[in-house]
Amino acid sequence: MENLVLVGLTNVLSFTNIALILGGTLLGLFVGAMPGLSATMALALLLPLTFGMDPATGLSMLASLYVGASYGGSIAAILLRTPGTPSAAATVLDGFPLSQQGQAGKALGISLFASFVGGLMSGIALLTAAPLLGVLVLKFGPIELFAIAVLGITIIGSLSQGSVVSGLLSGALGLLVSTVGMDLITGTPRMTFGNINLFSGIEFTVALIGLFSIPQALVLIENAHGSQKIASRITDRLMPRLGEIRHLLPNIFRSGGIGIVTGLIPGTGGDTASWFAYNEAKRFAGDKSRFGKGDIAGVAAPEAANNAVVGGALIPTIALGIPGSSSTAILLGALMVQGILPGPNLLTDYGDVTYTLIWAVIFANVGLLAVGLLFTRLCVGVTRIPDSFVACAIITLCVVGAFAINNSLFEVGLMLGFGLFGYWMNKAGVSSAPMVIGLILGPVMETSFQQSMLIGQGNPGIFLTSPIAVVLLCVVAFSVLQATPFFRWLRDALCPRAQAE
Amino acid sequence: MQNRGAFAATLLTTLLFSGIAQAEYSAGDELKVLQGFKAGGGSDALAQLTQPFLRESLGVEFVNEYLPGATGGIAWTRLAKQAPNDGSVISITNTPMLMTNYLMNDAINYSIDELTPIANVVTDPGVIVVPKESPYQTVEDFFAAAEERPGQITVGNSGVGGDDFFSTIMIEKATGLSFQKVPFQGDGPSATAALGGKIDASFNNLGNVYGHIRSGDLRPLAVFTRERLEVLPDVPTLVEKDIDVVAGSSRGYSAPAGIPDQARQELIAAFEALKDDEEFQQTAQERAMNLDILTGDAYAQMMQDMEEQFAEIWDEIKDEVNE
Repeated sequence: MENLVLVGLTNVLSFTNIALILGGTLLGLFVGAMPGLSATMALALLLPLTFGMDPATGLSMLASLYVGASYGGSIAAILLRTPGTPSAAATVLDGFPLSQQGQAGKALGISLFASFVGGLMSGIALLTAAPLLGVLVLKFGPIELFAIAVLGITIIGSLSQGSVVSGLLSGALGLLVSTVGMDLITGTPRMTFGNINLFSGIEFTVALIGLFSIPQALVLIENAHGSQKIASRITDRLMPRLGEIRHLLPNIFRSGGIGIVTGLIPGTGGDTASWFAYNEAKRFAGDKSRFGKGDIAGVAAPEAANNAVVGGALIPTIALGIPGSSSTAILLGALMVQGILPGPNLLTDYGDVTYTLIWAVIFANVGLLAVGLLFTRLCVGVTRIPDSFVACAIITLCVVGAFAINNSLFEVGLMLGFGLFGYWMNKAGVSSAPMVIGLILGPVMETSFQQSMLIGQGNPGIFLTSPIAVVLLCVVAFSVLQATPFFRWLRDALCPRAQAE
Repeated sequence: MQNRGAFAATLLTTLLFSGIAQAEYSAGDELKVLQGFKAGGGSDALAQLTQPFLRESLGVEFVNEYLPGATGGIAWTRLAKQAPNDGSVISITNTPMLMTNYLMNDAINYSIDELTPIANVVTDPGVIVVPKESPYQTVEDFFAAAEERPGQITVGNSGVGGDDFFSTIMIEKATGLSFQKVPFQGDGPSATAALGGKIDASFNNLGNVYGHIRSGDLRPLAVFTRERLEVLPDVPTLVEKDIDVVAGSSRGYSAPAGIPDQARQELIAAFEALKDDEEFQQTAQERAMNLDILTGDAYAQMMQDMEEQFAEIWDEIKDEVNE
């Protein structure tokens, strides 16, 4: 085993591989920075190019593209209020306010540093723990996944800025929209109105592009005649200050941990992890009031998490051949194209290729720090363009991105529909973030619930047979209860002293 | 994006096989392939396997167009209803999805009568796998347990309408047993659930679980083929156990109905030639794809038999599934 680790390291250290890792990272940055082009899509795009390459080289390039795109997403999120990738959606909340306050450089620097640390953590976790952690993955069956999804739904409560009721409404809308398409258990089409394009459900990316990008573009156009642009210029230094970093490190480590664990669980990826990490950062923060208004902790948390997902998601992929996210599913496809069958033998029979891939992830993160420092400055160019042009560019990219998902105009129309709806929500003061959470977790929750009920012969008691699920559901019960007046009343009644605080 | 990916793939194949292609195919020198699934999936793997070889023998450039959605239904509707039937457009057709799509949903209204089946290329045979800790050592143990506790043995499949779903029902009908069917979103999650012991067994496809079988984490109990498989010589077929179930997930190529006969013959001949192409056989073996080449009328017959069988099964069970 030790031997294979070293073989992998020497493989990576060839000139071609290092060059391709840097190239992949840079390409990832570009793709990630473009709204609507996700890491998954970029990987799919690049996959055919690797067919002719040596397996280790091809995979190294794909992995570094994945790493680059995970950071790249935050560039657009911070400068344009448009998440470049779904997993950067949480970064918008604090990143964009920061750039409005003229601190875009600081936000990007923190994002880059958090991405680097998160990614490095997950790379090391991958290297040391892949064979061990792989075992954990199998503990998560439908029952445990359901508990995870329910826990995720409780995030909605804490995400909604302003009125909790409008946040819950938005979340419920998301859950509702997620039920469109064929029922996964019976195959019955639901709310498709006989339209074949809706049979596979609404692509999450379509809704995301529409809800987050179009309203922003419309607002830009509305204000185009206004006096001047406020946002999106890096006027301050990119390198974060040591003091800030030291202050953020616990947050970054925690978020990195969240990212690794979320990546580990099949079916959940950077999008889920970043919201989780954001939420936890807020929960642990002393001063919660600054969140959503430009707190660097709110940038560091999701960015550390979504880069940590890369390594985390690769653990089940490598140790068991189970992709932890849609992007790693494509990496797995790349392995199969090279004639390498996914499965536990990836670490033994194909150990040289696999360990090269693991080392590539680690080196790509180091490369990311360098490439990011050089390239991020160039991104300012985007923001020097007048608002109306930026708005047009955003809409164009949205249309291209939506079209590229299924090569179909239907998705473009759907995206524009979501865009108008999101614009209306903006105006009505309803946050669209909970809707996105509902959209992500809805299908997971529904499917795992139905599967659990089938496995349990229709007896809901099945959820109490799994210790993991019981613990998770207890956490859910607690976090719901503590938000109700009942809990406050109970606390006041039980310990009157707490009232004084 | 995916168009660009396809372009890159074409460019790459052009670079790899830079012999001058001779325009032998009568319906033009460009052949569009509609793919009903995303780039990088199983259909794409088939395209990457066969098209470089066909490019040589037919002298055409392949243009892949990815139209994912409705489990292939969008691409196949386009093929049957809208694509020109001059031989310039073909599609990768996956069975049984091709038929179960329209059998199960009234809103999908193409049928195999509107297609010209060209050739089936690969078949991933069905297999019953159990976790290594499972008490069932043989398929007899497994069936005995199902007899003892009817409807309580949990069996994973890749989703309603997939081949594993239907093969479970076929086995139930042939043996009189009943299982608790648990659909997953594809073969991968179904195998994972079996690996973790979350379900008693998974009805899967060999290509997806072969790695786990070889590492000993999953135990194969039976395969759904006529003859035993070379790679798993100790695993019995269901046919041996007097259960007449042969099933798997197959992928091939079809054109719209009514294409010129000459074009059809040329396409069929190109696929026939793959049977004797050693380099092709070897490439397929390296990529763990189980070749099962059936051309022209034989492929059409295979589709018709399947349609008949599945229509009958679905007719019986649809009320139960939809409650």
